[in-house]
Formats: sequence, C-alpha cells, structure tokens
Amino acid sequence: MEYVSPEGLRLDGRRPTEMRQLRAEIGAVSKADGSAVFEMGNTKVIAAVYGPREVQNRSQQINDQALVRCEYSMANFSTGDRVRKPKGDRRSIEISLVIRQTMEACIMTHLMPRSQIDIFVQVLQADGVSSYSCVSLSCSLPLIDHPHFMNYPKNNQSCGGMEGADYVNRTRSACINAATLALADAGIPMHDLATSCSAGYLNSTPLLDLNYIEDSAGGADVTVGILPTLDKVTLLQMDAKLPTNIFEDVMQLATEGCKAIANYIREVLVENTKQLEYRRGS
Amino acid sequence: MGLPNASEDLSSEMEVDAFRLLFPLRYFERHLSESIRPDARPLGKARDTTIALGAVASADGSALAKIGSTVSAPIVVYLPPPRTMLAAIKMEVMTPSLESPDEGCIAIDFHMPPICSPIVRPGRPAEAAPVLSKQLSDTIIRHVNSVRHTGIINLKELSLVSGKAAWMAYLDIYCLDADGALFDAALLSAVAAFCHLQIPVVSLDYDGKIVIMSEEQKEEKSETKSVNKEKRKLTLSTIPFSLTCILHRSYILADPTAEEESIMETLVTVVLDSSGQLVSLYKPGGSVLAYTSAVKDCIALTRQRVKELQNILDEAISSMEID
Repeated sequence: MEYVSPEGLRLDGRRPTEMRQLRAEIGAVSKADGSAVFEMGNTKVIAAVYGPREVQNRSQQINDQALVRCEYSMANFSTGDRVRKPKGDRRSIEISLVIRQTMEACIMTHLMPRSQIDIFVQVLQADGVSSYSCVSLSCSLPLIDHPHFMNYPKNNQSCGGMEGADYVNRTRSACINAATLALADAGIPMHDLATSCSAGYLNSTPLLDLNYIEDSAGGADVTVGILPTLDKVTLLQMDAKLPTNIFEDVMQLATEGCKAIANYIREVLVENTKQLEYRRGS
Repeated sequence: MGLPNASEDLSSEMEVDAFRLLFPLRYFERHLSESIRPDARPLGKARDTTIALGAVASADGSALAKIGSTVSAPIVVYLPPPRTMLAAIKMEVMTPSLESPDEGCIAIDFHMPPICSPIVRPGRPAEAAPVLSKQLSDTIIRHVNSVRHTGIINLKELSLVSGKAAWMAYLDIYCLDADGALFDAALLSAVAAFCHLQIPVVSLDYDGKIVIMSEEQKEEKSETKSVNKEKRKLTLSTIPFSLTCILHRSYILADPTAEEESIMETLVTVVLDSSGQLVSLYKPGGSVLAYTSAVKDCIALTRQRVKELQNILDEAISSMEID
C-alpha cells in the first residue's frame, strides 16, 4: 500500500512534515484545580489535575517532595469496539506510569513537600479501529464557550476492518500534552512545558504524527517527549526496527513536532491569561 | 446556646468567604430569606442547559449535556458551576433470550471518573455512581418493559432476526464535572443520545452471521442480503425529563449545586414525560418531611422545567439535522 503518493501527499492529504489539527481548551472541568481538553486529529483526551493537596495515604508521603500520581483510563466508547476493561489492564497501567514519570520530571516537586498532585487523564475518543466505517461530522460545540475554539468542523473518516491496532501509542502524546496544559491551568510550578509527539517511517519517508492507518502499517513509530525550552528529552519510545541514521532523522522530526505543539500550547495559555485578566476587570 | 450568638456577632466582622465556610447553613439562610441563592438564581430556577448531539464520533449515538455554563462576564461574584455529562451508545449484535426472541436489550452504565470531582479518588469510587446507574436503568428500561404503557423505546425495534439476532445497546454515561443533582444531567444526556442514535446497517453473510456493513460494502451490494436497508433512528414515544429539588424548611430550591446538597440534604427528584405524566418520584429519606403540598410544588416546578428542556432538545435535534 502506498502511504506517500508520488506528489508527496499522505493518505489523509497531509504532507510528511505536517501535523494533524490541534485543538485545546482550558478549564473544562470546573471542580478540578486545573483541567484541559486536548485534541490531536481524532484523538480527544481530557485531563484534570487535583493538587497540591494532602496525601491520602500517609505512608506514601515524601517529606521533601510532592507525590505525583497519575491515572489513565479510556472511556468505554472511545474506540471502535467497546472497551471491556477501561483501566487496570496492562496498557493503562503502563501508560499511567509513563505519563507520571514524564510529568514528574518537569514539576518542581521540591516546592511542595508532603503534598500530593493527582493527574487524571481520560480518553474520550481514540483514533482506533471500528468494525464499520462512519463518516460523521463530529460535534463542534466546545466544552467551554471560547470564541477562539468554536466552530471547528472535522470530518472523521476511518476505514473499517482492521484489528489488533495499538491505539494506546497514539493517545500517549495527546495525554502528555493535555496533562501539561492542565498542570499549567492549576498553577503548579514547572520547569518547562512537557510536550510530546510521534513520528514514523514509511515508504522511505519520515512522517510526522502518524494517524491510525499509518500506524498499523507495521513501520516504526517513535514517540518523543521533550522539555522544549531546556531542550531535554524526557520520553523516548519506539517499536519496530530502524537503522540508526534513519532513527536520528525520525527523532529529529518528532522533536520539531513537539516544539510546534509547545508553541501552540503557549499561545493557548497566554490567551487564557488574557481572558482571566479581562474577567477580573483590570 | 453559645454558637448561634457567636455567629451573629462574628458575621458583621468576618469576610464573606470565611462566613460561607464556617457557617454554611446560616449563609444560605440569609440568602433564602431574600428569596435568592448565592449564585444569584431565584429559588425555582434551574441553571442554563445546553445539549450537543454527536459529541463522540466513534459511537452510534452520543450527546454532551451541560447544565450550567461558564459565563464570561466582567464582574460575577460566584459563578454557578456547571455539570457536564457525556453519554454515548454503542450497538452490538447479540442473540436474544428465549423468553423474548424478538426483543433487543439496553444496558446502562454510569461512570464517575476521578476527573469529575475532588472526592472521587482512584482507590475509592464514588458512592453515587452505582446508585445513579440503577436509577437511570429503572427510569429508562423499566419504562420500556411495562406491558400496558408503551415506554420510551420499543425493544422490538431493536430486533434483527427473530430468535437469532438482536441489538444490544450499551449506553455509557461519563460524568465529566460533578456539581449536584447529577441525575438530571445524566437523564438528559441519555435521552439526547437516544434521540441521536442511528442504528447501523447490517447484512447476513454466508455463514448466517450478522455482519455490520461498512460504507464501501454498501456500495458493492454483493450477494449478502441486507437485513435493514439504511441507517434508521429509533422512534421514541415519550421523553422523560427530570428535576431535582431540595427541601429546606419551607423553601424549595430547584437544581441544587453540590454545596447546597451537602448542607441541606433532603432531595426530591421528579421525572415527568413530555406529555406531563409522572414517570417517577424519588425521595430517599432526609431530615425534612414533606407535606403533599410541597411535593405538588416540586411537580409544578418540574413541569415548567420539562417545557424548557423539551425546547432545548428540539433545537439541538433540528440543528443536527440541518447539518
């Protein structure tokens, strides 16, 4: 199957170095200290942060640092086939650990000793397998009414019939980006914004931000999480094989994708702060 | 004793926020005596509601219901916080039971993930979740099975091949933001999701198994026989809407927030359908005993609310169809 056409267009019409559409909202969950909804293409993730607050389990309390906990779960309807066990299975536990360690690296935990920061990530929609195709217009009503982010019509088109795809890999990046936004919304001090993006290699071309079909093609999939201003890598995962020189190119591409996401997140945060300032009346 | 006097003395000196946290009941009663609530709503008014259909693209039917909205106004002291529910329906094919070979099945599940509220933690699931699951199931499904009265959904519409295949509709409702009177928002999102539901097209393949047809297969029209021609919607006979009220002394507060619920514990939930008939009445104990007049007042408030909700739902459906 040809993933990159001779003119250089991918299956969904993107160029090899083009990302899927990004969309972020802050403050979707009013009860949480910080929350965010992050969309990368068809993947939609909501993250909520509670903290710093008192440690639930005294025995786990750390005297010179904050305890960071993370839980990842998928909604039953998030993928094509109904997910039977949305959390507590191996994939969810693994990705919870990955997100926790990534965020722990960028939170200034030493500023909040003996406290606990909870990050909850819920996948509402994953770019995954469906037993039948649906050409549907996804809802364009945002969770909060924000003039910037209204009216984003999307055409979600997924071809059916494929099985066994690991959609969890693609939700990973969206989860980390959503968690970063939620932590920023909660006002938790961080060294830097942790952003994440993935890239792959098909038809001898490095491709940025694989979608579902490209991911299940069996080529390599590199997920990178970086702290953009400090230029440090916090997360690096890859499956399948790649020659070393090509790996460097793919990783470089993913890193640039992360930096682009970081710019977008920064814009969203600045806009949000302006709104807050306006509401305060200053 | 000493306490009421203490609060009287302190109330003039204390800051509003501190008074709200230390003497919540007095704080609310001060407001109630002026027939208003801290979020500036009159006693019988519910929060603004919005419904968005088709929120989840991968589901067969879905809806996002938000009661309460984050209003961006320059100076608002206490915003009424919103409750947000996301409901989605997924259809699967199953073999029907022997007692009812030409009826499908509906399974309703209500989830309160930890994001919705600070009290829900991973090791400690919310108490309200299974209670609400059961309440919703009773309202929607038992409504269906009653013999004399046609309920919301005729289960026979969910049948495919009598005795061999029928639809199982899994309705999952996720609470994304919890702030009091969860049942109202959950029921609204469930009903909206059913209104949005489109049953997929299926066909029988060679082995006699039901196969869900994709868009490409529909165009090919090969030897497989179509069981149903095109995606169809369920016909809903009546639609239930609900309103939860709190009783406190002689006051009735409609659509309470979580703060109000924690202080004044007596809840009454009334479910009416669109023709004004009573579907269910739920008063689970509580310190305030209600006379019939109070219950009738609650029902009257619900009746008004039903009209509002009916309009909002109709608008949401018609704007969906325009798309």
